[in-house]
Order: sequence, then C-alpha cells, then structure tokens
Amino acid sequence: MKQLTIDVGGTFTDCLVLEESGQLQRFKASTTPEDPTKGFFEAVGKAAAHYRQTLRQFLVDVEQIVHGTTLGTNILITGRGAKVGMITTRGFRDVVEMRRGIRNLHGSMFDMFIEPYKPLVPRNLCLGVEERTLYTGKVLTPLAEDELRAATRKLIDTGCTAIAICFLHSYANGENELKAKQIVQSMAPEVYVTTSHEILPVWREFERFSTAVVSAYIGPAITSYARRLQASLGEHGCRGRLLMMLANGLVQVVDECVDRAVYLLNSGPAAAPSAATYVGGLHDKMVGHRIHHNLLSVDMGGTSFDVCVIKDRGIPTTTDSWVGEHRVAIKMVDVPSVGAGGGSIAWVDSLGLLRVGPQSAGADPGPAAYGKGEDATVTDADLVLGYIPADYFLGGDIKLDMDRSRQAVDRVGASLNMDVNQTAQAMFTTINTVMANLITEVCTNKGHDVRDFTLIAGGGAGGIHAAALARHLSIPMVILPRVAALMSAFGMFAMDLGLEYARSCARRQNQLDFAEIAGLYADMRRQARGDFARIGVPESQLSFQSTVEMRYVGQFHEVEVDLPAEALNGENLQTLLANFHAMYEKMYTYSMPWRAAELLTFRLKATAPHRPVEMAMPARTNPNVEMARRGSRQCLFEGSATRVETPVYDWDLMEHGHEIIGPALIDDRTTTVLVAPGFICEVDAYRNLVMRVR
Amino acid sequence: MEKHILATIDPITLSTVWHAFQSLCREMRNMVARTAQSYLIATLKDLSVGVWLADGSTVAVPEGLAGQFLGTHLAIESIKEKFKNDLHPGDVILTNDPYHGGHTNHLPDWGFIRPIFYKGELLFFTLVRGHQMDTGGSFPGGYFANGYDIIAEGLCIQPLKVINRGVEDANLWALIFNNVRWPVETRIDCNSMIATSKFAENRIVNLLDRYGKDTVLGAIHQMMDRTEKAVRAEIAAMPDGIYNGEASTDDDGTILDEPVTVRLDATVKGDEITLDFSRSDAQRPGFVNCIYAATYARAVASTIIFMDPALANFHNQGSLRPIKVIAPLGTVTNARYPATVGASPVNMGGQVMEAVIEALSKARPDRAIACWNKHRGDYTFAVDPRNGERYVRTTFDYDGSAGAVWGHDGMTGPTQLNTLGSVHRGSMEEAEIRFPWRMLKLEAQADFNGAGRWRGGGGVDWRAVNEGSDGRMATGSSDGDVTQGKGAQGGQPVPCCRTIILRGTEKIRVKPHRMAEIKKGDIVVKLSSGGAGVGDPWERPIENVILDVVREMVSLEAARLIYGVVLDSVTLRLDEAATRKLRSSPPAQRYEAVINEESLDIELKPVEGRTGVAS
Repeated sequence: MKQLTIDVGGTFTDCLVLEESGQLQRFKASTTPEDPTKGFFEAVGKAAAHYRQTLRQFLVDVEQIVHGTTLGTNILITGRGAKVGMITTRGFRDVVEMRRGIRNLHGSMFDMFIEPYKPLVPRNLCLGVEERTLYTGKVLTPLAEDELRAATRKLIDTGCTAIAICFLHSYANGENELKAKQIVQSMAPEVYVTTSHEILPVWREFERFSTAVVSAYIGPAITSYARRLQASLGEHGCRGRLLMMLANGLVQVVDECVDRAVYLLNSGPAAAPSAATYVGGLHDKMVGHRIHHNLLSVDMGGTSFDVCVIKDRGIPTTTDSWVGEHRVAIKMVDVPSVGAGGGSIAWVDSLGLLRVGPQSAGADPGPAAYGKGEDATVTDADLVLGYIPADYFLGGDIKLDMDRSRQAVDRVGASLNMDVNQTAQAMFTTINTVMANLITEVCTNKGHDVRDFTLIAGGGAGGIHAAALARHLSIPMVILPRVAALMSAFGMFAMDLGLEYARSCARRQNQLDFAEIAGLYADMRRQARGDFARIGVPESQLSFQSTVEMRYVGQFHEVEVDLPAEALNGENLQTLLANFHAMYEKMYTYSMPWRAAELLTFRLKATAPHRPVEMAMPARTNPNVEMARRGSRQCLFEGSATRVETPVYDWDLMEHGHEIIGPALIDDRTTTVLVAPGFICEVDAYRNLVMRVR
Repeated sequence: MEKHILATIDPITLSTVWHAFQSLCREMRNMVARTAQSYLIATLKDLSVGVWLADGSTVAVPEGLAGQFLGTHLAIESIKEKFKNDLHPGDVILTNDPYHGGHTNHLPDWGFIRPIFYKGELLFFTLVRGHQMDTGGSFPGGYFANGYDIIAEGLCIQPLKVINRGVEDANLWALIFNNVRWPVETRIDCNSMIATSKFAENRIVNLLDRYGKDTVLGAIHQMMDRTEKAVRAEIAAMPDGIYNGEASTDDDGTILDEPVTVRLDATVKGDEITLDFSRSDAQRPGFVNCIYAATYARAVASTIIFMDPALANFHNQGSLRPIKVIAPLGTVTNARYPATVGASPVNMGGQVMEAVIEALSKARPDRAIACWNKHRGDYTFAVDPRNGERYVRTTFDYDGSAGAVWGHDGMTGPTQLNTLGSVHRGSMEEAEIRFPWRMLKLEAQADFNGAGRWRGGGGVDWRAVNEGSDGRMATGSSDGDVTQGKGAQGGQPVPCCRTIILRGTEKIRVKPHRMAEIKKGDIVVKLSSGGAGVGDPWERPIENVILDVVREMVSLEAARLIYGVVLDSVTLRLDEAATRKLRSSPPAQRYEAVINEESLDIELKPVEGRTGVAS
C-alpha cells in the first residue's frame, strides 16, 4: 500500500507518494483556487499516470492521505469568509473590535498612520444577550432563551451562514454557550455554529472570542471543502484514511476538524519544519555526528516565504499568533511568513523605488510567462536571467514564454530607466532582501545569530534563491532536500495523529485539590478516547502528554511545564514545583522558590504516533557527474552584464559523491537549483544537495 | 570612531547589529511583562526599556512610554557626574526621583539603570523602568492629589546603587521595602526588572564579543547618522514658520475647577524644530506638574510621529538631534523642587503631547493627528473579601479610543495618545479573578466621539459593581470632564466625559483629581469619550457615514446634524436629494455629542460659541 501527502499551496499543489519500498515520487500541479479539489485530483492523476494506472486503480492502493491546505489562511487573508454573526454576553459586544491595542505585534509605536482594525464580524452583527457565568464557573444569570432566539433570527435574516457564540468565563463552565449552540442549531441546522470554549477553553476573553470568530469565519468553506474532498475520494475508490494537517503540527480526520476549522490555518506550512529536522538528522547520520544543531527551515513557494527557527531539534510552537490583523490564540507551529514567492509581483512605489511582492500572481493568471497575466513576477525575472528552463518548468507541464517575461519585466524597468536585464537582476536582489530581512528578524527576535544555522531550503522557488540568501546572511551551509519543492508535503509523513485538550482551573500550590485535577484529566482522557475511538484508533495506540501552565502567584503570564506521568499528588507536586522553578530560571535567568506558584491551565495532548519513514538510499553507478549533464543555459549573475554559459544537470541522474562547482544549474521535474558562482555543491547519499561557499 | 571602520561595515552587519538592539529591547520588555506581577506592568505593559551609549546618546527605544524613557540621557548624565569613576560592572542604580538627578516622570516609575562594561570600558547604559503598584506616600499607588510636596507623594529615591559590583545593599532595600505597601509584590517586580537588565548586559556583551567593539559602535553611529539625515529631510519638508498648540487639564486637584494650560510655540526653521513651552502656566500646587525630562520626552515623541512612518522602526539619537525643547523652570512644563508631580504623565504630560500634535498638524496637514481620549483612570483601594487582603486596582480599560489621523478613522479601543498605543487593554476575565469587581458593561457608544472627515474611535461606557469592601477611589490623573482634546483640520474635539457612582437611587458625580468613598454594592459608571476627528465631518464620504449608521456607531440624527447625510429611518437608505441639498452649503449650526447626566445616554447639542472645533 502507498501513502500520500498532498499540500495545496497558494500556487502549486504538491503530491508525494511514499512507496512501500521507501521510494518517494514527487508530483506537482497548479492550484485551482476556485475549487482546490480540481488541482488536488490533477496532482493525484499525475501520480497515477506515473504508475500507468487509472485514478481508481491508483487510489484503491492508497492506505492514507495526509492533506495540508492553505484554504483557511487564504480565506482569512483575502477576506472571503462566511458572513459571521456573533452572539455574546450583553454589554460586551465590542471585545473583538477593541482588541488589546492599536497594533498587532508587528507595528512600531512611532507609526500612527494605521488603518483601524476591521473585525470579521461588523458591529451590527455582534448581538448581546442576557446571560452571565462567573469566573468560578457558577452561572449567575441563566441564558435568556427568548433573547437568544430573537438574536439568532436577526442574524439568519441578515444572511449569516456562521455564528460564533462567545460568552464571558465560558472556559470555566460552557453550559450557557452549549445551550445557546443547541438552540441556534435547532433553529438553523444549516448554519455553522462555533462556541468559544469548544475552540479554546482558556481564559482571557479577547483571545478566546477572536479565535472563535476566526474559526466561524473560515468554518463553512473548510467544512464544505473537506467533506467534498472526502466524498470524491470515496467515489474514486479510495478506502484509505484522509487526514488533515493542523496548525499545531498534528494531523486529524476530517470529522474531528470541521468543528475546529481554525486549526486548519497554516496547515501545510506547519509541516515544513518536520521535513527540515528529518533532513538535518539524516545528514547528521551520514556525517556520523551532529553538525546541524540549529536549522533554519525556509520554504519559498509561489505566494509566500515561510521561516522556522529550529534550535536543538525542537520545533517551536506559539500561542501568540496573528494571522493578518486577527488574533488566533490556539497553539501553532511557529512559522512566520512574508509574501515572497515565485509569483510575487514587481511594482514601482510612490517614491519611485522597485518593490517585489507581497501581492502574488498566484497560479491564475500566474507569471507573465504562463501566457495569461501581464505582471512581471519573480519567476519571470528568474526566467530572463536564465535560471529556470522555459521548456522544462514542472517537467515541461507548463511552457514558459520568454518573450512575454521579457516584455513584462521591461515594462517595470521603463520607469526605472533600467533595461530588461538590469531590471530582472534588481528584482532578484530585491526579493532576496525581503526574505533575508524576515530571516534576520525571526532569528534575532529569538536571540540567535543567523550565521550559526544551516539553511534547509524548500519550496518550488527555494532552489533558485537559496544560495543568494545564504550569501546575503553569511550562512555557511545550505541543504536542498531531494524533495525540496515539496517540503511541507514531505514533513506530513512525520506527523502524529493527535488532538489537544485544555481546562482552565486556577489554583494556588497550597490549595490544590488533587482529586479535582485527576477529575479534569479523567474527563479529558475520556474525551480523547471517545474522539479517537470514533476514528478507529484504539486506546492502546494512544500516548498522552500532560502539561500545566504555571506562574508565581500574582503574575500574569504562564510557563508551560510537563506534569508527572502519574496523577498529581502531594509528593510529586514537589518535583513539579522544582521543575517549574528550574524552567523559569532557564527562561528568565532567576527564580523565586520562596514565592508560591499557581497552576492555571491543564493541558493534555493525545497522539497516535506515526510509523517512522524509512527512505531508500539510491544505488551508485557512475562517479562522473558529467553523465548527469543536460546542456547549458546563458545566465546573468550579480555584478555582471555579460551572460555566462552555465552548465545544467539533471537532478534525477545525480548520485552520491557528485560535486559541482558553481555557476551551475540543477533541473528536476519539480524545481531548479542554482549553484551560484562561488558555491560548491555536493550530492549526499539520499541525493540531497549540500551547498557551501567555496 | 575611525572613518575606515565606518567604511568597512557591510550592510548585513550594519542591519544585524541594528536589529539586535531593537529586538533586544523588545525581548526585554517581554521578559519584564512575563515575570512581573503588577497588573500595570505585566498586562498593560506600563513599562519601558532601552539602551544608551556611555555618553547618553539614545541607541534603541523601540517601545515604551515616552515619558518613562526618552529623557533618560539626562539621568545618565547626572549618574556619571555623581558616581564619576565609581561605576563598575555589576552595579545597578535605582531611581524614581524626578529631582536630584533622577529625571523621572513621577514616583511610581521605578527605573533600574545598569552600566554595561566591556573589557573594563564603560560602553552602554540600559534602563528598565516599570510603574510600580505602590511607592509609599499618602495614598496607595502614588496618585494623591493634595500632597503638600513631593515628600508626601512617596518615597523619593535619588539615583542610588541598590546593587554594588553584584552585591545587593541589604540596608537600602530594607529601608525601601519598609516604606511601600505590598513589599513582597514590589520586590518581585524589582527582581523582574533587575534580571532583565542583567539579561540585556549578557546579550550586549555577546554582541560585542561577536562583532568587536569597533564594529558595534561603528554600526550604531552609522545608524544614528543615517536616521538624523532622514529626519532632517522630513523637517525640511515642513514649511518654515511658527505653529501654536495649546491644551489643558481640568484642574490641578488642589485648586479645584480651574483648568491648567500648556502652551507651545513650535518653530520650524530649515531642518530643525524648536518646541518652546515658555507661555505655559506657572507650576501648580496640585500634582499635575511635569519636570523637564518628562516634557522633553513627550515633546520629542510627538514630533517624531510626524516623520515618515517608514522611519518608525529606526528612531534613535539621530532623530533627537534636530529637535530642541525649551521649558523654563517654574512652569508646569519644568517644575521646581519640591512641586508634586504624581499625575504629570497623563495630565501636563498629555497636554504637552496634545499641544505638539495640534501645532504640527498645522505644519503637515497631510499627516494631521487628532487627540485621543482623555484618561478615565482611577486608583481603587479596598479589601477583597475572598482572601481578606488589601488590593489596589488601576487599569486603562475604561479609556476611550484613538483619534483619527489624516487618511484613517481612529480605532475603537486603544488607550491614550500619551502611550502612543503601547499600553494595552487588560482582560475583563482576568480582572474579575483578581479584583472583587464584577463587570456590567464595556461597550462603545454611538456618537460618543469627535466627528470628522475621518472620525475618532468610539467612546466607551464602562460599568462595574463593587462586590468587595467599602473603600476609596482616587480619580487620580483622569481628565476630561471639562477639557476636550482637539480635532485637526476641522475635525471635532473629543466629547466631555463623566464618572458617576450609582448608589441605590443616588447618582454621585466624581470629578478628576478627587478622592471618593466607595461602598459595597456601588456601581461605578465611566463614560469615557472616543477620539477626536480630522477634517470637516461635512466632508466625510457619504458611504462611510451610511456604514457607521448601519454598524450603530453613528445615530441617524448625528448622520444628519453632524455629517449632513440624510437616511431613511427604517431602511437606512440614502436620501440623495436631501443629502445633496443639505451638503450644498456649510451647516448653519454645528452639533456635538454631550452626555445626558440623568439618563447617562449620549445626545446631540448645538455647539455654542466654544472654540472646540478647530479652525
């Protein structure tokens, strides 16, 4: 049986097939934004064709599909989500609009010219109803059901297709929210309903409400997409399990994720870091010792450029995410991103300066070279510079039109007084600077020097730009995985099936009721067993990881600490406290053991671990790299106006031990790698490319 | 700095070193917020951090409260003068003193200054300053309106070494903590700030190890020069001239109901600006006075925001060089010891900022900035029956909203221009766990903001019931019962605000700068107006007015009377003919939002002869 991963990005749909032998096959198709299932099946169709099978023959033999999609992120960023209504505690309708402040994380305090935040739910669709729960969980005022019905009716009449129910302190007791949900569902079964405590059962109303609203906003589209996809797979004979890739680095079956749509944000990018750690580990193994302590996973696709800083193998997560201007407080793999990719459009700003991105031509109309769009994109510049092949882009599936590229690039250059070659070079440098700045920012924000990292570069456009990035940042080594163009898809093989649960319950260390905590965990485990049983995973396959968020009494921010494996009791509490003090000290350089601690949010992560992926090591046949040569292209490189005849190699024919000195190009059906002048490139045992500055 | 070193710094190193300092400051601020225990510091981020060169030049000040840190070079100068050669690695200097070389805003802002040495040479200073929950004095929190002098406002700590070559001065700490309320909690926040300054030292030393002293200093000087050049070009783009601004606070808390005014003459000449506050009122017996450093800091901050927003991430000493601030001793902008200053950050400090933005909005109409809400804060002091402990509560949650800027409406929610938006809103859920007050309402009110072509963010109706003991509420530095922040370029000012205690059927109005009794069961209502507008509301795009009405931010009545847009009262459809007719000439009568003190609703009243609407 085969396993598939399919990652639908903004521009390309990547499909990776893992054969039982450990061989990987790579396929890429264009993403079809109006109906992403089209691109999905096109990519699968290419895979089937590779095996000379019909779609049905191929799919019958598929055991599991892990699927990542940018659908949720795209909907949120482009503002094409559902018309959402919000029902909240009376007197508090502006919680989401007011946020915590005027800027999200990224603004400077000296910039006052900021567009006011536009919440996803306009104010007239935020309706208050009489109800109130206290922080103790006690219901002070029962839900006024008549008011709720009236509010629901108003929202339905206005055309809302999703409703978020967001009540104060619902994390302490979800009774009122659940009752409201029941009523809304009975009145309007077709409406997508979300409650804040089911999405994020954690205190702090703005973060919880905002996350719930985002979930409701993307929920209907996500649901209909996932259900449609599941149905078509069934119709095409697929009996394997369809798993969705989630923001927190876990995977889950469709039924479990449609009600928590917000977890499908960043699905896809969340998987790339796992690919990077895998490749880094593989390389360490080959070298015989750990050289890659710190990895910088970068993924440059058609639309966006994602970065993840991986220190000592730990894939970072965060609950501080913003997606656009919206706060999303679920735990997510920490993958910051900018709008920089092959499709990024070049333009001239009001100061007369060249800019590239963040707008992307996407897959449709795509770069000028595709023959539809007029805008000059990074891909057009790369083509003009000779880096990518006009006749072998996506293995020849997309014919690139050099003339159209040159015209488009030339149009941009006209107002800059630059010729087409100069403009293409300037575009290349500009986009590299945009990406390098993001990397520097992300690294230094975490206190790391980017030069201590190995760059693991992926994404369809990553291979062309990786060397330039490394040079820009003085990074000594770059690895281009064999699956570079499908990094996220590859990372999805490494994902555990899982769900996360949480209960907020604030208690001081000397006021703990161990039975109460045991009860919370019994409850979460019961829920987990039920959730997994529904998808056919027996309890014996589950592993649980329990953590608790702690802080010193009086503080406002928490540290997440591992709980002991057995139930918390008077004895192991001391170990927990010692661990907390130690962790606090590690994070902040001091601790206060004399001060009492509080335990706040109890978390449970339930996972069914994946099978380890064993990649096959290709055999070596010919030590001479020239056997992989497939002609040459005339390229322009930085600092020179003359074209250089640059040898081109076929990645499929390259073998372990081959070495190439730049400038050179390495083509593949899914991507091209530029070995820039001054770099040396070596092929490792898994046919990954390792580039170093000479 | 040797010229050849400047020339050899490549752009990547330059930007890496630069971003290292910027992000160091962000991390420092996060570290304090994550480890501190006071609501003000940890949740609202009433704290500032930064890095200065040994000569006091500002290296990095990316985020904080202007008054807390942009005048730090003055404190550094006085520390160097006071300690001379007696500064050593491992020293930490604490000061909260506005006078005696501390140059602090007001007493609750405790600042920890650490000299940073590299290979025996003093190269940097770093500051971590947070608003402590208490600082001794007559009333918890340090906002006592009627102190006889600054001694009555709290403990005055002139720059003193609390840590000497890594060793704490136990006697000094003992004296300090014996004189503040909540000594354990205050101590925690001191630890948090001291540890953060140590973290900064480690990071800076690593940076110096990695790049070398010459490169790091070279990069800093180069960035200062680049920034100075850009800021000078921005100033040169303003027409030369003298621009005035003026702003008042309701009273000084001691002499009641007599507004106190800051007056500014801003002279733009070539590529320099001089901000002269000489015409301001004489210093006051009440606690609204600013010291020079506080005036300076706010004046430069509110000038910097008129520069190209693309420069926002870069400001440093280079940005400050072309700006000169004159504030004669003895005025409310430069009070003489021992004048009280408790409310200065918001009161005269806020007026300094409002005066500057008024003046510079005239110099750069295309970057006009309207005033934000006036602060509606208080310090509430009582006992929490759930644990029998005393508490003091203060927050910014009851504040109104941002003012408009040229091109954008103000956002609903952000609190105070004074903080440039870097102070955050709290969480109601968190506040209810922490304090015995149950929230009844926190919602924007239609019309309760300055109108304009771009309008201010919505005004706020905040209500909570006291479920704790009887106690007292100091309305501290709150403001705006009678004074109104101005709009710009014809935008309306912020409406007047009110704080009312509902006790049974009684309605008790509490003015700013006062002390009030609160009883168990009292409901406190704060009607805190939104921001002011930019541009004539009569010119607001009709579709935006319609959207405002649909979204229940502007009433039908206001649409017609203030904006000149007539809508059908049921369908909310535009009456094009009536609107065209109405808007064909300027309004015969302007209207503004006013609180009805009986119903506590917002209603519209004709603007009478007051000069509130900017010309």
